[in-house]
Amino acid sequence: MKRTPARICQLLFLALFLILFMQTEYRGRDEINAAVNTFFRVNPLVLFSYLLAAKSWSWLLLPALLMTLATLILGRFFCGWICPLGTILDLVSTRIRKTAPLRILQGNTKYWLLLPLLTASLFNLNVSGLFDPIAILLRGLTFLLHPLLGLVSRSGWVSLYGLIGERRDTLAPAYNLIRDNMLPFRDALYPLALLSGMILLAVIALERFETRTWCRTLCPLGTLLGWLARFSLLRRTPTGLCADCGVCRDICPTSFRQGHLDKEECVLCLDCQDGCPHGRISFRPKLTLKRAGPLRPERRVLLGGMAAGLMLAIPARFRSPEKESKLLRPPGVRSEDEFLKKCVRCGECMKVCLKNALYPAAYQAGLEGFYTPLLIPRLGYCEYNCTLCGQVCPTGAIPSLLVESKRREVIGKAVFDKNHCLPFARKIDCIVCEEHCPIPEKAIRSREVPTVGLDGLPRIVKEPYLVEDICNGCGICENVCPLESKAGIEVFAVKNRTPISYKPVRQPENQPVSQPENPYPS
Amino acid sequence: MDRRTFLKASGAASLLAPILIRKALAAREQPLVVVAEGSDYAAITRKAINALGGIKKFVKPGNVVVVKPNMGWDRSVELAANTHPLVVRAVVEECLAAGAKKVKVFDNTCNDARRCYVNSGIENALKGLKNVDCKQIETERFSKVTLNGQFLKEWELYDEALTADVYINVPVAKHHGLSKLTLGLKNIMGIMGGKRGYIHRDLEVALADVNAHFKSHLTIIDATRILTNHGPQGGNIADVKVLNKVIASVDVVAADAFATTLFGLKPSDIAVTVAAHKRGLGEMDLSKIRVFRA
Repeated sequence: MKRTPARICQLLFLALFLILFMQTEYRGRDEINAAVNTFFRVNPLVLFSYLLAAKSWSWLLLPALLMTLATLILGRFFCGWICPLGTILDLVSTRIRKTAPLRILQGNTKYWLLLPLLTASLFNLNVSGLFDPIAILLRGLTFLLHPLLGLVSRSGWVSLYGLIGERRDTLAPAYNLIRDNMLPFRDALYPLALLSGMILLAVIALERFETRTWCRTLCPLGTLLGWLARFSLLRRTPTGLCADCGVCRDICPTSFRQGHLDKEECVLCLDCQDGCPHGRISFRPKLTLKRAGPLRPERRVLLGGMAAGLMLAIPARFRSPEKESKLLRPPGVRSEDEFLKKCVRCGECMKVCLKNALYPAAYQAGLEGFYTPLLIPRLGYCEYNCTLCGQVCPTGAIPSLLVESKRREVIGKAVFDKNHCLPFARKIDCIVCEEHCPIPEKAIRSREVPTVGLDGLPRIVKEPYLVEDICNGCGICENVCPLESKAGIEVFAVKNRTPISYKPVRQPENQPVSQPENPYPS
Repeated sequence: MDRRTFLKASGAASLLAPILIRKALAAREQPLVVVAEGSDYAAITRKAINALGGIKKFVKPGNVVVVKPNMGWDRSVELAANTHPLVVRAVVEECLAAGAKKVKVFDNTCNDARRCYVNSGIENALKGLKNVDCKQIETERFSKVTLNGQFLKEWELYDEALTADVYINVPVAKHHGLSKLTLGLKNIMGIMGGKRGYIHRDLEVALADVNAHFKSHLTIIDATRILTNHGPQGGNIADVKVLNKVIASVDVVAADAFATTLFGLKPSDIAVTVAAHKRGLGEMDLSKIRVFRA
């Protein structure tokens, strides 16, 4: 990599991306000021698909609007100066020997990807995040590479304890520095980790065919930026290859396949300007109405792509009703439909989740919900005083709430399974769920009930019950239930997610409790 | 004395002797419970320790000391779910002054460890103190310990507690949904690993099992403010009562028994205290406890 301004800028943004990625984590403060969501906030693909799908405006999208305007003026500079995935491709590309460009990806492929995504968004199916380059990178990092780093570092540290025991403490400051700044807090394993890693790897592996294969032939964000760049003011002169030279074709990472510089493909890296042996090339603002090349995509592809998007919008949205019961969304999400229209599937909420309660949906939420966050209480619960997922969500699909409001947001409602729950099933005390219920007035309460133990002897057992009005479905009860495998209490999704109020609820403690008959009469 | 009366007498004596001896011993070393009161929490903590004979009685120079507060919940200081940071800091400073080589402060938290350490105020209160570790639990450091108790045959305990020279138990006095109150005896759960909810099915016996195996050298109960309802994590300031008291004793059962009275309850109301007393872990009869108000 030569040290051109574009390259230095790329490396700085990659470093920024990685630092922000590490910062997307609880670090002893309730607020996260700068998170990796910045890269989605400036992302025009997120902007367009959000606008088309949600058909509403959010001020969170303002940076992306500014980026759109900047692209209209300057061109597709995001890809050559900012995009962290593009930078990674540039870094590895020099080490990968090239075969010939892949024929199947040439031409209209990228439009066949972008057009259906945008059209489907218009018909309420917003899945463009699945192909967003930043999201692909972030998911690969969050679900596979970062946990991998954690696993390697931590298992090394743990085995050190096995070797030298408490003497390990002398090395603790060095390890703590790494642990506190770079490692994931706990070893969470994510579904779709393999797929996320494979997709990222596949994007990189495409470098085998030509430089920036992904960017030129597939990336929907790049294609969108390319469209905007068609009208940009910054122009290269000369527009084509010079008759006596042609070095540009070798230098250029993205264009000159057709013998001229296609503005849709130029990422403004300025390598041709630096590398020109004759010093003929310049990029200057120039207002011209002359069209640079034929307008693409052709009408056939445009209509076909839109039709494909429309067709996709129906089958992808099927979801079997029995899956809905466990469709627990992050706190503050009140409507499943609205959530799906706004969610970028970037994985940030899952990265930041304090208790690792959120996991990407594989099949649970239907095709439409692929990679959307699901709360799985048995693996982690929603921490009562934590608001991080809402803070890092780039589009507000998970709203950013003050802690007082977030505590009242309903994720679901807990239900006891009396066939499993110990006080009911085995007539013994437990009440771990009540102990952990974070609601100050306790959504899980217990009453002393005279009963007959399984040994036939009369005894008094504390039976738990749920005060549904004030249960916010955080899932800590299901999480801590001491039963192995299936919990005696489970959180189920509810349609009505009106925030709970803390009005004192009538306590049925003095109600007469019917005494069960002795199952073992003597 | 004929053979028959001798046998009768010796039989009766052998039956009565242990009880008599225990009574005699109990009379001799009546457990002392110190209650210090005041609004300067660091000062009353020191006062309570000094009334027991000073920290030097427990901590020798070069000792590794574990100070085990209750900081299991993501609740702020005034909500009385965790030990008051000023009490913890005062105990830690006393240990350091006595020449402790290292003072370790930790708890196996119920909520997210990072949030508990921060929001209990304890991590921050100890910041800057030399030779003090306030580290989060590392699961690999739990080791299976044979307890041979009545309910727990074995359980995972934390190595830092097991290898410490001195273990100082610093619970906060609060309400608990199952055991009515949680005090010194229950605070031992903070050194237990595994799925701790399991022991709820026979809590008092399990706690007696662990406390019988692992003894606190000193128990200092934070009753500067107590949580009177919706414990053990509370969350409503209306459930908190400010008492400005710190209770200290070498006898954890005696300390618990006295602290029970702060809630208007009798020691015999608390099954955990009763089970521990029956196990011979300490005195719960208030008439046999010497209470000293410092």
